[in-house]
Order: sequence, then C-alpha cells, then structure tokens
Amino acid sequence: MQTYTEKIRQAAKRLLSEKRVDAVIGFRKGTVVFMNEPFLAKIPEQADQLVWDGNCGINLANYLPKMTGNIAIAAKGCDSRSIVIHLLENQIKREQLYILGIPCSGMIDKRRIQDGMNGREILKAEDTGQNVRIYGSDFEQTLERADFLQENCVICTHKNPVIYDELLGEPVEENQIDRYEDIRRIESMLPEEKRLYFNDLIKPCIRCYACRNACPACFCPTCFVDESKPQWVGKTIDPTDTFTFHFLRAFHLAGRCTDCGACERACPVGIKVRLFTKKLEKEVKELYGYEAGVLQDQQPPLDTYRPEDPEPFLG
Amino acid sequence: MSDIYIAKSNFRGVIERLMGRYRVYAPVKNGSSHDFAPLEDPSEADLGFRNSRLSPKGIFHPQAERMFDCTLARDDPQAGILKEAQKSFPPQVVLGIRPCDAKAFRLDDANFDTDSIKDPWWVRRREVTTLIGLACDSPCSTCFCTSMGGGPYDTEGLDVLLLDAGDGYAAQVLTERGKNTLEVTSGWSSVPSAVSALTLEKKTAAEQRIGHAFDPASLAQMEMIELFKSPIWEDVQFACINCGACTFLCPTCWCFDIQDEVCADKGERLRLWDSCMFPLFTLHGSGHNPRSLKTQRVRQRFMHKLKYYLDKYHSGPACVGCGRCVQACPVNIDIRQVGRQMVSSGCSCPA
Amino acid sequence: MSDWEPKIIAFLCNWCSYGAADLAGVSRFQYPANIRIIRVPCSGRINPKFILASLRHGADGVWVSGCHPGDCHYIEGNLYARRKFALLKSQLEYTGIVEPGRLHFSWISSAEGTKFAETARHVVDSVKQVGPAQHFIKMQAQVA
Repeated sequence: MQTYTEKIRQAAKRLLSEKRVDAVIGFRKGTVVFMNEPFLAKIPEQADQLVWDGNCGINLANYLPKMTGNIAIAAKGCDSRSIVIHLLENQIKREQLYILGIPCSGMIDKRRIQDGMNGREILKAEDTGQNVRIYGSDFEQTLERADFLQENCVICTHKNPVIYDELLGEPVEENQIDRYEDIRRIESMLPEEKRLYFNDLIKPCIRCYACRNACPACFCPTCFVDESKPQWVGKTIDPTDTFTFHFLRAFHLAGRCTDCGACERACPVGIKVRLFTKKLEKEVKELYGYEAGVLQDQQPPLDTYRPEDPEPFLG
Repeated sequence: MSDIYIAKSNFRGVIERLMGRYRVYAPVKNGSSHDFAPLEDPSEADLGFRNSRLSPKGIFHPQAERMFDCTLARDDPQAGILKEAQKSFPPQVVLGIRPCDAKAFRLDDANFDTDSIKDPWWVRRREVTTLIGLACDSPCSTCFCTSMGGGPYDTEGLDVLLLDAGDGYAAQVLTERGKNTLEVTSGWSSVPSAVSALTLEKKTAAEQRIGHAFDPASLAQMEMIELFKSPIWEDVQFACINCGACTFLCPTCWCFDIQDEVCADKGERLRLWDSCMFPLFTLHGSGHNPRSLKTQRVRQRFMHKLKYYLDKYHSGPACVGCGRCVQACPVNIDIRQVGRQMVSSGCSCPA
Repeated sequence: MSDWEPKIIAFLCNWCSYGAADLAGVSRFQYPANIRIIRVPCSGRINPKFILASLRHGADGVWVSGCHPGDCHYIEGNLYARRKFALLKSQLEYTGIVEPGRLHFSWISSAEGTKFAETARHVVDSVKQVGPAQHFIKMQAQVA
C-alpha cells in the first residue's frame, strides 16, 4: 500500500501544477496511531504531505457536497459509490471532479486491535499490506492484517472504484460474500429480544452526531433532529429519542448508504450503527434489486417506482 | 492534613464503608474502555484504568437534566408556572478521578460558580461531592497535562489524592472535606518511608513520560486579533466534520442548550449538552448566524480553549491535557498540533 | 386488561380511503370506534416521521390506507409510497419497535365502504391481540 502514497503524491503534484484542479482531497499522516487526517492540498508543494494506507477509513466524499472549483479526490471503492450518489443527487458536478480511484484491500479497525491489547497502549504501527506491526513501550507484535479489518471491509463486495478518472493500482479481486448473516440472525429473534438488543446497542449514545457528520450521504441543510416546528425528536439522551434518531437516520440512508463504515469509525463510544443501515441495504437489494452508487444512471430506489413493485406490507 | 497508607488487600473495605454513606462513582470497565459509574458492588471499581472514555463531568453536569417543570392542565391555577424540578443531591464520592479531570472542574467553576452567577445544580452537586483522586502512573501518549499547567500527581481540585505504591495506596488528604469523608473508613496507618520514596520516584517517572505539547504562556503574549486573523485556520478546519465528539468528551466544555418539552399536560424545561461545533449553536432567532462557516466554528473552539480563557482569567488555558479529544476525533484534529501552529503563527524567526 | 381499548391512528388518503370511511358511515356499517382518523391528501404524503410520532405519543396501532395502485388521484403518489411502506414496516419490525400486528397498510377505494369497515375490524382485532403498546412511548424525557 506504500506505493499508493507515491502514486497519489505524483498525481496530485501533476494535477495541481497543470492547474487541472484547484485542490486535491486526500489524507495526511495522523498524530495518533491508526489515524490519518483528511487534507486539502492546494499547491503542488503540499502534495508531499499526502499519504495512503490502511488508516484511511474515513470517507472523503463527505467533503464534496457544494464544493466549488475543480477538485481531485482519492476514492476507494465505497467512497467512489458515495461520489456516484452525490452526482445523482446533484451535490456536485461530474465536470468538477477528477477521481483518483484506489482499489482497496480493506481498512484497519483500530478498535479491534486495541481491544486485544488488554490495556497496553500501542505507540506506533506499520501497515505493510500483508500484516500490521505494532509497537508499545515494552512490546512488539506482528498481526495478520486480514484479521483486523473494519467490519464493513471484511464483507466488502465493491473494493474497486466504480467511477474514476485515473486508477492508481491494479484492480483487486472482488469477493462473493454473504453480507447479511448478522442481519438474518437478528431477524430470527423474537420481537422482545430484538427490542432489547437494539436498546442495548444504542445505550452508550451521547448524541454527538459524529456518525451523521462523518456520513457522506448526510448533508441535509437542516437535519431532522434540528427541526423544531414541529420537533420530531428530542435532543436529550432519552432512550426513545435516541432510538428515533438512529432509526430515522438509517431510514434516510435507504438505498444511499454504501457501507463505507465511516459512521462506526467516527463513533467515540463504539456503537455498531451499521446494524441499522445494513438491514435497509438488504431490503432494498432484495425488493428492488438496487445497490447504492454502483450504476451512474440508475435512479435511487425511493425516487422511482415500478408497476410490479412487491407489497409485502399489506395484510 | 496528613498522609496515610492502606494495603490494597484492605481497600475493598474502604470502598464498602464509603458506599455505606455515599453514592460512590468509580471507573467501571465497559467493553475495552472505562466510564465513571455509580457502584453497586465494590468489585466493580477498576483502579487499574488509564482514564475514562467519557469525562466525569457528567457527574456534575449531566448530558441532560430537568431544570423546571410545570403543569399545563387547563383548570389548574398553577398551570404554566415553571417550578424548580424536585430532585435529590445525595452525598457522593468520585473515586479514582485523575488530576487532569479534577483540575478541569476548577476551570468549569469559573463558569458555573462565580460571585455574580451561581448555577444551582452545579453548585449543589459540587458541594456534596468528595473527589478522591488517583495519581497517574501510566500516562497515555495523548496526555499533555504538564504542558497545560497540570501534572500526573497534581492535587489541584482534589480532596484526597491516592498514590499507587504497588501493594498499597498512600493517600494525601488535602482538604477538610476529604478528611471527613475518609473518617467513615478504617484500616489506615502512617506511610512507611519506603513507600514515600517509591511514590516520589514514580511521580518523577510519570512526569517525564508525558510529552511536551506546546507552551500556552507564549499564546498569552500574542495579540488575540492576530491569532484570530491567522491563515492557519484554513488549514486546521478542513478535516473537521463538525460533530460534537470533542466537546462532549472534554471535561472543560460546559456549553448547554435549554429546551422545553411538552407531553400531555406536563411541560418541562431541560438542559442538555450543546456544542459550538454544531451550526445551530449560534443561530439567532432572526435567522442570522455569526458562525455559519465551519472555519469560524473551528477557530472559535481553539481560540476559546487556548486564548480567550487565558486572557480572561489569567490562569492558564481551558484545557487540562487529558487527550480525550485527540483520541476521539474521527478525523484526527489534534489540539496539540493546533496549539503549536498557533504559537508558531506569530513567530517571525526563520525555520 | 379486558377493559383496555386500543387507540389506533389511521392515516387515510383524502380521495379514496377517507371517502370509503364516509361511505361506511353513511351506510351505517358497524366498525369499532378505536380508530382516530387523520386525513392526508395522498398516501404518498405519509412520512415515516408521522408513524414514529404516533407510536411515540402512545398509539397502540397505526393504519395507513390509500387508493389502489394505479388509481391514485395524483397518479403516482401511492406508487412511490409503496416502497416507503415496505422499507418502513420491515425496519420497524426488525428493530423490535413494533410487534407484528401493530402496523397495517391497505388500499381501499372510495366505493369500498364494506371493505373499510372490514379492514377496520381486522386492524382493531389484530392490535387487541398484540396488547397495549408499552415501549417506545415518549412520556417525560428520561433525564437526570
């Protein structure tokens, strides 16, 4: 993955010096282990700060809506699908974008690694592409990279960008995976079990909205939680209000969520919010044969209808 | 005030006695992190933690609380008249709080407990709470309390400071309140001299392990308006996604929103955490928003923490270096980095 | 428990289902008085927030009814609505907010007074079987 860093830097330098774009959205090295900071390079000299490794889990398409000027953006598979959603929803124009496509082998889940550390702090980490080497003050360990990927990356079926102006690497093999095993397990629970399961899931929520703000598909000028005439959901951590927030946010992402995992990555208290969105992704796929952001000319599912649409809700 | 000592094998008894008289908050394991929670059993307390994920500010300033309520029943003569919500303030102990968080409460007092304004709920809770701190022996790489005027063995804001001495705890009893609280416990003896030497060694080691972030004193000397207009903010603000993670986890962030909620024939006025990162934070009733742009909000947060507070109270920044924001920020905006950029923005020397 | 009568909020589209309710009334068809009707211009107007709000306020059941697909007064409102309803019902039941039997949808034209009364009886029976709504009701905010 180190080579991606070099390729992005070269491409950015070229695009900025040729003035093909006004800015390049990428990542620069973070100050904390397993983190990189989204970075906007505006002059060729800044291109040397760009990096790409397994800590680039945040979805950069989040920064696109309503940006002006010409922008290059580094996009892995899920990010590129979010860009397609933005194009379909008129949040940015295709002519403005120069997409640096990055076939992705998955992002590292720092929480999963830290969970196994039993309180010991990791001070440095190296992602070699095959494994992850971690260093603490008095220990050193080599981990199998594939064992510590973000949950959404483990079941990813769109690792290669679906839209790009330049592909920065060889396409990687896509997997045929059952994405919905955990959803089906929950579906088979009794109603009371389901209710308790989800109540437990969102119990730690402090309503910081990191999930919503990290999500590229959440860009409403006024989010429904901020509506006050009428107020649909209170802003406290009352469990019913918190549930309403997560439920309705997931519903607003039906057919738009590309399962990039930025929401789970952003959550400061580690809530698995994708359990809300994946159910709708499954339904949209099974009922309407639609996958978010894969085809650039396919209308979003809730924006259209077919005469033969199923009606499982009757009765 | 004296120093006392107890073997760790007897410490459970201390917690039990405290629980008999107080509601005891202590770090409780929650998955792979810890949070301060009221204990139901002494064994839940885990003093081997580093620091809690959420700051303990929720003990004094809950995420949401009821301030006033009223009835809205039409025929009730008291309808619509807000009355202070009935609640109790039982005596409580926060056990194991770190020096950074205890110092943070002193900084928060500057807002909630002044000569002219006293927030009744904050003040009452502070009055009934004893803070028994635990000195830090394994600071995280994200800690920078020493740069912010604090330290891993600092006593500011604490009633008692426990020092981990291997087989036991040495306790520095710092205030009258701390002394009175510990009187319900037993099993203490005087501090063995070996323990005193050991804890001094550990204090030095801990202080040395904490990295230097930047020097807030330099910021005190800089012109506020020059910092405000600095071009560094364009660079700092890009990554920010304007969530509230940093503000909600920060022990010195106190901003709140007040909302009225109505259900059937009851109305109530609630206070809940708000964040200067949210666009709605400064939205006026007229529709004007002085901080409608992300740059303005990001700049405001760091200026408030590291410059305005410094200028106003002349006692250090509104940051205790706990590092929670550094760990929690989804896009790795690092206040230590921003502080350094602020300091060097005024520097005209080469390199 | 035997005294309990469910409160059911019924969102009826103005042109078809509300007309059916009128017809049922005028024809003196008997149906239980548990339903409280909210008239909307079209079933396509139904926003998931309405159904959530009904449940949060303590409704034991929610019933949404509109024109038959293909007969919408606004041509395609209910055709868009179908997708919303399918996803909403499925998600509500998946998260355990709503037990099966609480949330009902139907297509009833303004000539189908009998069907309206029948469906009303069916909805009320179904909700009675599930029992009173106990969770997901926002009374006083649960705060400190």
